[in-house]
Amino acid sequence: MTDAATQPTAQQAGAKTGISALTKKRYAAEKRFRLYGIIAVTIGVLALVMLLTSILSRGLPAFSQTFITADIYLDPAILDPEETRDPTEIAKVMTFSYAPIISASLGALAEELQAGPVPDASPQLLADMISGAANAQLRDYVISHPDEIGETVEFEFLANARIDQYMKGNVTRVSAEADSRVSPVQLDIADALEQEGLLVKRFNWAFITAPDASENRPEAAGLGVALIGSAYMMLIVLVLALPIGVAASIYLEEFAPKNRVTDLIEVNISNLAAVPSIVFGILGLAIFINFMHLPNSAPIVGGLVLTLMTLPTIIISTRASLKSVPPSIKEAALGVGASRMQAIFHHVLPLAMPGILTGTIIGLAQALGETAPLLLIGMVAFVRDYPEGLPAGLFEPATGLPVQVYNFTQRADPAFVERASGAIIVLLAFLVVMNAIAIFLRQRLERKW
Amino acid sequence: MSLVDDSVKPVTTEEPKAEWDSREKAAKSVKIHSKDVDVYYGDKQAIMGVSLDIGANQVTSFIGPSGCGKSTFLRCLNRMNDTIPICRVQGTIELDGGNIYDPNIDVVELRARVGMVFQKPNPFPKSIFENVAYGPKIHGLTRSKTELEELVTSSLKRAGLWNEVKDRLNEPGTGLSGGQQQRLCIARAIATRPEVVLMDEPCSALDPIATAIVEELIDELRSKYTIIIVTHSMQQAARVSQRTAFFHLGKLIEFGQTEDIFSNPKEKQTEDYITGKIG
Repeated sequence: MTDAATQPTAQQAGAKTGISALTKKRYAAEKRFRLYGIIAVTIGVLALVMLLTSILSRGLPAFSQTFITADIYLDPAILDPEETRDPTEIAKVMTFSYAPIISASLGALAEELQAGPVPDASPQLLADMISGAANAQLRDYVISHPDEIGETVEFEFLANARIDQYMKGNVTRVSAEADSRVSPVQLDIADALEQEGLLVKRFNWAFITAPDASENRPEAAGLGVALIGSAYMMLIVLVLALPIGVAASIYLEEFAPKNRVTDLIEVNISNLAAVPSIVFGILGLAIFINFMHLPNSAPIVGGLVLTLMTLPTIIISTRASLKSVPPSIKEAALGVGASRMQAIFHHVLPLAMPGILTGTIIGLAQALGETAPLLLIGMVAFVRDYPEGLPAGLFEPATGLPVQVYNFTQRADPAFVERASGAIIVLLAFLVVMNAIAIFLRQRLERKW
Repeated sequence: MSLVDDSVKPVTTEEPKAEWDSREKAAKSVKIHSKDVDVYYGDKQAIMGVSLDIGANQVTSFIGPSGCGKSTFLRCLNRMNDTIPICRVQGTIELDGGNIYDPNIDVVELRARVGMVFQKPNPFPKSIFENVAYGPKIHGLTRSKTELEELVTSSLKRAGLWNEVKDRLNEPGTGLSGGQQQRLCIARAIATRPEVVLMDEPCSALDPIATAIVEELIDELRSKYTIIIVTHSMQQAARVSQRTAFFHLGKLIEFGQTEDIFSNPKEKQTEDYITGKIG
């Protein structure tokens, strides 16, 4: 507070010239304002850093998964009792029957462990360390390779979520004591298997490509269906919202007479941009599903609802960028005898294009992250079947990435926490890719002066 | 810079009287005839009962203080005012005897016949070639690519820009200097082979040297086109035009030969304006 001492002299000087005190005040105000700005930016950056660290630290482990390697004897007595090797006969054996095959094949390994590091090991404990998804994996393999029945084949199975979490440091012997789904003995077995190289943790593509999995096997859950669903919806939004939005903006900006009707339309467009997204969900439910009888949970309905939601954003930003094109350009075109449409399409629109694209991408990004309307039109359903290719796939059930995040967070098993964060990382990556495309396109277009 | 020295001299006053008279006779062929033109912006009347005949192959200048309606009247002549929704034009304006506000007249064709150069140079953000070629392209004036190239070349030559840009036709028109940009706009306007060229304060954004070049160009273009120029500079009006119209508060106060307007004005208001008492 040395200022206090110098202040009187400054005031005296100010009184003499009448300028310096005022100037000082102005500089002080400027300095203060700059400080506020720096503080604001710092808060923003800190928030972003905190968000990213929390998501990355929790979500990145979801991309790696623990696998257990085991030799399985494909017992003909269970798999093909009549020795037909006919795939249709083999398919009659349900996944449930494969569980004994796995535990029977693990007997040798269990004995080896009993003799060595883990005296309490048993085939059943070993089998329980393997994911419930293993049965289906085994069955798919047997049906596609019927001639290998009766042989011993080496398989790599997903480890149970608890074992996986133990490898990632989230399950301890203390917590295992209290857990009905894992025992400390199994953790000892996991350590032993890891030393022998039968248990490995590695990158797991299945997290991105596989469909969702049920409540009690989080280790098998993936984002495949949600990614396809989101991609389909974005495609619909892009194909519908961009042309409709741009056409509406050009009409309103360049052709529409300025009267009460157009005023009303403009006010309503601005208001629509602020309507809560869940309202659009109710609208979609009422119109697209109940009235037009489009299928539930289908990307077509999600895409249409998100299109409605995105249109105001696209219209507002497109109109702003059309307005920002200097009127002299349009005048020049009209002056050489271009029609109004030629002036707009040859000169105004190319100059407005970067802005239109930016607005569209912002709209798309908003739509990509939207959850509420999708919940109302049934896209929150548990979907394990991939939708088909275009266009049939648009009418088949799917989910979206944000809904998948919501789904994961709803589930009881703690292993879903990392999967939810992992799904958010995929969602953010999707967004970054979309923004990168927008920036790329914008620069390409702007290079044309 | 011999160019500058030549053109800074007042063009009209230097001309021999005899030549001036013969041209005056030729100008008897009226290019644009306007009668009782009223222009309204909403409720406000901007032009009041202007009747004016513009002769062919002459430079006619409109002078007057800001807001006097000279630009508004100019923009009526190629119906650029149509783009302003609240603007209303009454009265008759005829180009070669045909009413340009006739509902059967196509405004696009009219603007090909009546070209326009604006106050601020406004080249398209495209290449120099594209700038000039755009008009002929949309009007289908050329049948082949070579024909189009010839038209662009001749237009640029006529606008006195060819030597400066012939090696960089594919560079952006916006990269030229202000004076070059304005000459590019003139080239663009004459590329559609208009009969009349309207110029709305074409030199107000240019420095004296560029202004001199453009003024000389205007004088050269007179042989092929009828030129109407709005200007704030009375010296410019005196230098480039044969006839001058003085507008004040939406009314045409005086219209006559440039010489007479500046040396011997009939109206008090005109005299006040050119001597600097008003405006």
